[in-house]
Amino acid sequence: MKEKIEQLKAAAAEALKNASSKEDLEALRIKYLGKKGELTGLLKQLGSVAPEERPKIGQLVNEAKSKIETAINENRDKIARAAKELKLAGEAVDITMPAKEKKVGVLHPLNRVLDDMIDIFKSMGFDVVDGPEVETDHYNFECLNVPADHPARDMQDTFYLADKLLLRTQTSAAQIRTMETRKPPIRVICPGRVFRADEVDATHSPVFHQIEGLVVDKGITMCDLKGVLEQFAREIYGKDTEVRFRPSFFPFTEPSVEVDVTCSECGGKGCRVCKGSGWIEILGAGMVHPNVLRCCGIDPDEYSGFAFGIGLDRLTTTKYKISDIRLLFENDKRFLEQFD
Amino acid sequence: MKISLNHLKNYVDINVSPEVLCDKMVMAGFEVESIEYAGDNIKNVKVGKIEKIEPHENSDHLQICQINIGEKENVQIVTGAQNISEGDLVPAALDDSYLPNGMHIKAGALRGVASNGMLCSGEELCLTESDYPGASVYGILILKNTEKIGADMREVLGLDDVVIDFKITANRPDCNCMLGVAKEISVVLKTDYHPPVTEYKTKGGDIKDFIDVTVKNYDLCPRYVGRMVTNLRIKESPVWMQKAILASGMRPINNIVDITNFVMLETGQPMHAFNYDKIEGKKIIVRNAEKGEKITTLDGKEYDLSPDMLVIADGKKPSCLAGIMGGEESEIEADTKNLFLESAKFRRDNIRHTSRALGIRTEASGRYERGTDILNTEYAMNRALSLIYELDAGDIVEGALDRYESLPEERIIKVKPADILSLLGVDIPVDEMVDILNRLDLKTTLKDGVFTVSVPSIRDDVEGRADLAEEVMRIYGYDHIISTPMRGDVIRGTKLPEREKSDKMKSYLCSIGCDEITTYSFVSPSSIDSLCLDADDDRRNAIKIINPLGDEYSVMRTTLIPSMLSVLATNINRKIEDARFFEQSKRFIANEMPIKTQPAELPTLSIGIYGKDEDFFTLKGIIEGIMRTFGAHTQYEVSKEPYLHPGRQALVKANNTPAAVFGEVHPEVLEKYGIETRVLVAEVKLDVLFNIKKRPTYYKPLPKFPAVERDYAMLCDSKIPVGTLEAAITKGAGRLLEKTELFDVYEGEQIPEGKKSVAFSVTLRSMEGTLSDEQIEAVNEKIVNNLSKIGAELRK
Repeated sequence: MKEKIEQLKAAAAEALKNASSKEDLEALRIKYLGKKGELTGLLKQLGSVAPEERPKIGQLVNEAKSKIETAINENRDKIARAAKELKLAGEAVDITMPAKEKKVGVLHPLNRVLDDMIDIFKSMGFDVVDGPEVETDHYNFECLNVPADHPARDMQDTFYLADKLLLRTQTSAAQIRTMETRKPPIRVICPGRVFRADEVDATHSPVFHQIEGLVVDKGITMCDLKGVLEQFAREIYGKDTEVRFRPSFFPFTEPSVEVDVTCSECGGKGCRVCKGSGWIEILGAGMVHPNVLRCCGIDPDEYSGFAFGIGLDRLTTTKYKISDIRLLFENDKRFLEQFD
Repeated sequence: MKISLNHLKNYVDINVSPEVLCDKMVMAGFEVESIEYAGDNIKNVKVGKIEKIEPHENSDHLQICQINIGEKENVQIVTGAQNISEGDLVPAALDDSYLPNGMHIKAGALRGVASNGMLCSGEELCLTESDYPGASVYGILILKNTEKIGADMREVLGLDDVVIDFKITANRPDCNCMLGVAKEISVVLKTDYHPPVTEYKTKGGDIKDFIDVTVKNYDLCPRYVGRMVTNLRIKESPVWMQKAILASGMRPINNIVDITNFVMLETGQPMHAFNYDKIEGKKIIVRNAEKGEKITTLDGKEYDLSPDMLVIADGKKPSCLAGIMGGEESEIEADTKNLFLESAKFRRDNIRHTSRALGIRTEASGRYERGTDILNTEYAMNRALSLIYELDAGDIVEGALDRYESLPEERIIKVKPADILSLLGVDIPVDEMVDILNRLDLKTTLKDGVFTVSVPSIRDDVEGRADLAEEVMRIYGYDHIISTPMRGDVIRGTKLPEREKSDKMKSYLCSIGCDEITTYSFVSPSSIDSLCLDADDDRRNAIKIINPLGDEYSVMRTTLIPSMLSVLATNINRKIEDARFFEQSKRFIANEMPIKTQPAELPTLSIGIYGKDEDFFTLKGIIEGIMRTFGAHTQYEVSKEPYLHPGRQALVKANNTPAAVFGEVHPEVLEKYGIETRVLVAEVKLDVLFNIKKRPTYYKPLPKFPAVERDYAMLCDSKIPVGTLEAAITKGAGRLLEKTELFDVYEGEQIPEGKKSVAFSVTLRSMEGTLSDEQIEAVNEKIVNNLSKIGAELRK
């Protein structure tokens, strides 16, 4: 009996080795463990064994049964796993094939840069306001301390639509409208489109964009102006950027300055981009001229303020190293989609 | 303003290099446009002494010279010239030298004999007889034997000058001259300023016996100073004067004309010289031109004058266009005997106006336009007379005819030093401020803690404390300004609601693959024409620019569509297969024509799409998305835009107000833009959408009970819009309707002519419980009845 059990175990083990499918395993199970299976058969013959041997043999048979059962189950899992792996292996993809991306559009580069600027100034407490593009002589010139036939009008060739009606040459016009409608403290920026009768070439466009900034409050100084512009410059050009003031002239500010930043290309050492000076001119600024404050009904003895005007187009072309400003207005899709 | 440094050194001590000077001037408010080094094109050419001349073995015309250039060894140079002798001093271009004609000289050999350079002729150094005597001689230039052996030829030729081009800002007309710049430099460098002499002697006589001056319009000519010079001795002006005139970009003519130009360069005051003998009636009348008067100017051109133009007339006719250009007839020529000299102040806006109107710009008009000083007229006249005296160019007659109504008094500004500093935020010692202002000729005294500043008329840009702050700061140095962080209450800025809304809309458009474009606000009238609009369409009333850059950019756009079509055409022509573009900009709508008031500037969105996957319904999808971002309730109606395909366009109403038009572009319009593919455009009125108040969003419970889905396939007249069928279903389903979905529209085989088959899937659900068969059947009956009423029969 014992021998027979051992023989069956060995035979089953051998058969298991050769089993390679679920079907093979099922056949094995039926052969050994089924109702008419060989081990079941042995159990049936237990009656022929001496009574004192019966428990021992019975135990041996049951042991063999469970051993074979376990082995069959293990093998079944293994085969199932192998089958799954085989299936997955067959499903492998070429990861270098192109992505199926849903195309997303892009903002115009001018507006991408503008959005960054708005975020920076908003975080410094500036409100973002708007002004008309068709302006009156009063707002674009008179109130900005540029009376008729003042030589400063030569600085800006103006498009006229009618007598005293023109396309604004500067967003500074919005300064006046702001000061007329708000009381100090004032802290606003006004981004917008401006126009000058410049022939179109690689660096000139009759349509361009500015961001005007204005702060009016008690006790505002040039040091405050430098503080704001320094923070702005560092956000745009990097945290080590230095700001330099150079005296200049604008009719609506006094003192007036041109503002330079250390060249971001060479860090101020001097290179081709900054023409060796280490500095790049980025904007004009100054303390609001007392005549301008007065024109808006603000007492210059009580309040002071500063204003600055940033050229958005120039900032954008420098940032992206765009060589020709005309590209900004041509709107070739292949150009636009470079800026995402 | 181009300044010769050698010339400038006559008026101010300069103790720094030209580069340092430029840096310092930039930081004082004088931008430098360029620095030119005269003689920059001559390099390594030295004065050499010919020690020995030997014949060349292999040539009968070449000679071998040993040249002493002040160094240990002589330099051997082979030359073909024959006009040289031992002991001569000559210009020797050494190895690796450059000549002004562009030649680069290197050591080499001539017929087997080493030659370490070249001896130069006057021509090779680009010299004329007036630059160096003997320069025009054929052969080598023989230098004066007083020249120093080994000296650089640039020094010998006086080519060590540096010309700096300063950009003078509009507020400093006083610096459009040598003396103004010299004065500034003296302040910046803290060195001495030497104004030139203005001394002369007259030969007696009395100007009143020669001429009379009458100013008829003191408003346009606040001051007129006239002097007489007789027995003119016209010749070339001295070389130093010619050089100064040349360096500034003008041309030397003769001593008298050169003196007037030189004085203008020095003082900024334009002068005019009249041929006295051509002045009719011996009268000078400063008056407005009369209607119909003409003048022929120095350059031989004739101009028609109008009464707003100021002229200097004689007894009969205009003789000079005041402040702009002299007349041909009274020009100073080689044989002119007597001179009437003018130094006047004219009102700058009048000169500007006349100069623009006639299209004449001169050195004089430019200076008058920027503004001249009334007191400077007299100083400049005296300077001119002193030069006439010094150069012995004529006999000065005693007496001046000086006409003016009043002379300005010095402007006095009283200000506390603290009020100047409060603008700057910098602490500058009071003494230092007083010193700076005084050095700038802004005479300042401090009494009881208050500055009294007396401003000379030449600095009429200085009006108040802000100007004084600038004057102090630019000399004290802007690098003293230390930045302070933003102070005051901590606040966060806000955007206008319109900008917030448009930001949201733009991010939606980007999310569905639209790229943003930017185009000009002005367009050509023909681009609006190309939309085939009716003759009385309002969009044809575009505002015209009076002075456009050209027809292409001459009217303010009343619609964004033409610009969008141009951009689409550009991209299509460049073989870009598909695109989705949008632009947010303004349309300009006049309140009246011709315009007198600011027009309406209407915020507008345009969209343009093309490509194989785009059609009317993809654009409709984009429009619906936009309307959703604004929370608008939309309706679609048939529209009749002339520039759109008559059967493929729609008007969109947002909350019952027309807000957009979109559709396929009419083939006739496409033809005008050279577009050969179908494109679709939309124009959306953002002013309407910005005004929509979006309802607040609240949570709705998720459904708990199952839905029932039923399909309705029907046959109907093919002209019935799907929207009508859908409306019938919606009405029939009532509040149990969850959604209706169109899944098939079919015309063709097996469907009768003029009919179509339409199929919807309808989902019903109740929030209260599972729908019973009775409920469903009741709804079904209503839907079927409603459909049948409009002629749609369910297909069995």
